Amino acid sequence: MNLAYLWGIFLGSLHAMVPIILTGAGEVIGESSGLFNIGLEGIILMSAMTGALGADAAGPIVGLLVGVGTGFAIGLIFGSVCTYFKGVQLIAGVGINLFSLGLVTFWLIHLGVPGHHAVAEEARMVDISTPLGDFSPMIFVAIGLPVVIYVLLYRTKLGLKIRAVGENPQAADVAGINIHLLRLLSTAAGASLAGLAGAYISIDWLGSVTKEISAGRGFIALATVVFSGLNPLLVLLGGFIFGFFDNLAVWVATMPAVQKVIPWQFVSMVPYVVTLLVVTGVIGRVRFPAAMGIPYERE
Amino acid sequence: MLKEKSDPVEGKLDIILAGKGICKGFPGVWEHLILDHIDIDIQAGEIHALLGENGAGKTVIANCLSGFYLLSEGQIYVKGNPVTLKSPRDGIRHGIGMVHQELALVKPFTVAQNIALGLSSSDLSFPLPEVEDRVRELSEKYGLSIDPLARVEDLSAGEQQRAEIIKVLYHDPEILILDEPTSLISADAERLFEVLENMAEMGYGILFITHKIEEALEVGDRVTVLRLGKSMGTRETAKTDRTELVKLMFGEHTPVHLERKPVKSDKIVLEVKNLEALAADEEPALQGVSFSIREGEIVGFAGISGNGQSELAEVITGLRRATKGQVIIREKDYTNHRPGEIIRAGVSHIPEKRREMGVIEPMTAAENVVLKDIRVSPFSKRSFLNISHITRHTEEIVSRFGALVSDLWKSQTRILSGGNIQRLILGRETWKMPRCIVAIYPTQGLDAKAIGHTWELFMRLREAGSAILLVSEDLDEIMALSDRIAVMSKGRIVGMFEGSGARREEIGLMIATGASKT
Repeated sequence: MNLAYLWGIFLGSLHAMVPIILTGAGEVIGESSGLFNIGLEGIILMSAMTGALGADAAGPIVGLLVGVGTGFAIGLIFGSVCTYFKGVQLIAGVGINLFSLGLVTFWLIHLGVPGHHAVAEEARMVDISTPLGDFSPMIFVAIGLPVVIYVLLYRTKLGLKIRAVGENPQAADVAGINIHLLRLLSTAAGASLAGLAGAYISIDWLGSVTKEISAGRGFIALATVVFSGLNPLLVLLGGFIFGFFDNLAVWVATMPAVQKVIPWQFVSMVPYVVTLLVVTGVIGRVRFPAAMGIPYERE
Repeated sequence: MLKEKSDPVEGKLDIILAGKGICKGFPGVWEHLILDHIDIDIQAGEIHALLGENGAGKTVIANCLSGFYLLSEGQIYVKGNPVTLKSPRDGIRHGIGMVHQELALVKPFTVAQNIALGLSSSDLSFPLPEVEDRVRELSEKYGLSIDPLARVEDLSAGEQQRAEIIKVLYHDPEILILDEPTSLISADAERLFEVLENMAEMGYGILFITHKIEEALEVGDRVTVLRLGKSMGTRETAKTDRTELVKLMFGEHTPVHLERKPVKSDKIVLEVKNLEALAADEEPALQGVSFSIREGEIVGFAGISGNGQSELAEVITGLRRATKGQVIIREKDYTNHRPGEIIRAGVSHIPEKRREMGVIEPMTAAENVVLKDIRVSPFSKRSFLNISHITRHTEEIVSRFGALVSDLWKSQTRILSGGNIQRLILGRETWKMPRCIVAIYPTQGLDAKAIGHTWELFMRLREAGSAILLVSEDLDEIMALSDRIAVMSKGRIVGMFEGSGARREEIGLMIATGASKT
């Protein structure tokens, strides 16, 4: 093993962490307001699809925006169900996952090669080339966004309101805050970022859509949020840990010596297990909003 | 407490807030109106007491006047102008501030952060430094000392209440509504009264909600009495008295009449020998406690709470391990047996924390009432619940104890008031006329009338042969009910008195000093 190899893994890690961080940092906003969106996986999958089609039609920037829009729209539906219509968050989230899985599978069948849709080369995001390697611009977004969200949540009045709504909605109501609207917008903003993550996967990182391209990243992002205790800066760390093991696994799995002994599917399981172990190892020390998952209703 | 009260007629007081014909019913929940055409007005510079027993609708009026609830009917006037309050924010805009009974504070936030929440400044601003300054200013002006940077969850109940009041004052209200403000800070009430009187002198109109007649008389300039959602009229406190207010609150005056015949039996039902146990912090909570209770006898345990009374009750009912000694129930050793066995031995338990220990809050009233009997016929047959029998049984208990429960099978117990939960627990624990009852603060949260009924119930149970262990901080209750009175201090029984010959002063002194008779 040499330095170039290590650097390659590091670069790969940076690209692999982006969807986790975007999704996780967005979910921090939603969970701070008291809504727990287990449907992130479905949002990533769906926007990977819509984003790819958007990019095919009008270029990568439009593709990313379509992804964001898809996430926002699903977030609005999820948010309305869980606030104004007092639905159960868990079921609404599971619904998103199942619906997306079904729709994307169906969609892919009707797009030329069944089960696989490659994004045209000219529709893909262009990496920034440096002597150190190629970087996707989205890496910088993924590093900057948690900082912005941290400032929003902990250094502005809006953040105070979002956290109050998640912690004690009744007190927030008394303070004159529109609970349902704030929760709806918070979760939709979070879902938009999951949408951005999905579009990044298909347009930028992998360059294609396959049936289960989200590959559990929505759930890993959820685990990372738990690990972070709703601190977006820790989501950054959690995302990198996953990205690193994700890449390491690819590298290990493709080593000829390993390939003969252990099936690659087995090795690619490792990042998930490691991330979950790291992430769950610290649960118990973090504190969550008291009213998370509970619909608000005036007595 | 002596004080000069300004005469509302001479003082040319203006009505700041008035409600005319206020009605409130909750759709589908209550068949009757919770508020039935209430008229009320609050003037500048007065403390207007709103008096009524639990469930009379006091909190509902407060919520209507502050914009938390929409009116079903009626009109609110602010300085003579009709207004419609659609949300608490509307109330604040019209100068109406409300201090909620269950304080509306976000616990992990600081005092200043809690206040910043309700400000109308831009969402992207961060107004904390300015809020902190203003809180310090307000806290000095009104004598409500509070640290703006303290986290609410670290504050005592009294401090939290001061924080809540400051939060309300921050919006420069002209009317301050306080919902049962003394329920959290009974020891600190005088200090709050001073603050309120001071504020009334500055020209605020204050609506002070309470179920205690003495408080209404002490702090109020006028008092409006509420009974079951209807206004019984408004009086000037200078021109009324306790007797009249009792009559207004409860209607027909029913004096508590406790008749006591001597204990007939010598049969010992509950015997505790040399009992020792540890508290949660591993410190000794009970040290060599011994006593016995006979059939048809009430033994009252007086003393300041935290001197081992809770632990004693827990050890007897099997909830806490005894490290030494014996608990003997009807001549059989039940030391460190499981709670279920002790229940089957005929011991009822009216626990200290009714919401945590007494009921399962997310379950319904009916489910909670039959919680302990569910395994036997006729409550269940072959593992299936006998719904019709349970309904009949619960209905009987609810009506006998006067609990206000809207739907036995639908509404969760958590939405009931503490007093109503206590009524359900009393019903569940006493309907079988149990052989032994361990009752800890059985009348907490009940109003005067319900306390009277509970005392009568205990006397009937005593008459029927129950052995009753009564723990109470209320010396009147202990004196009224007990055949013998034990005083506990630091985990020991420091004195045992015959109820009939006991002198209040002597017991009081022993409670205060914790010293045994010399």
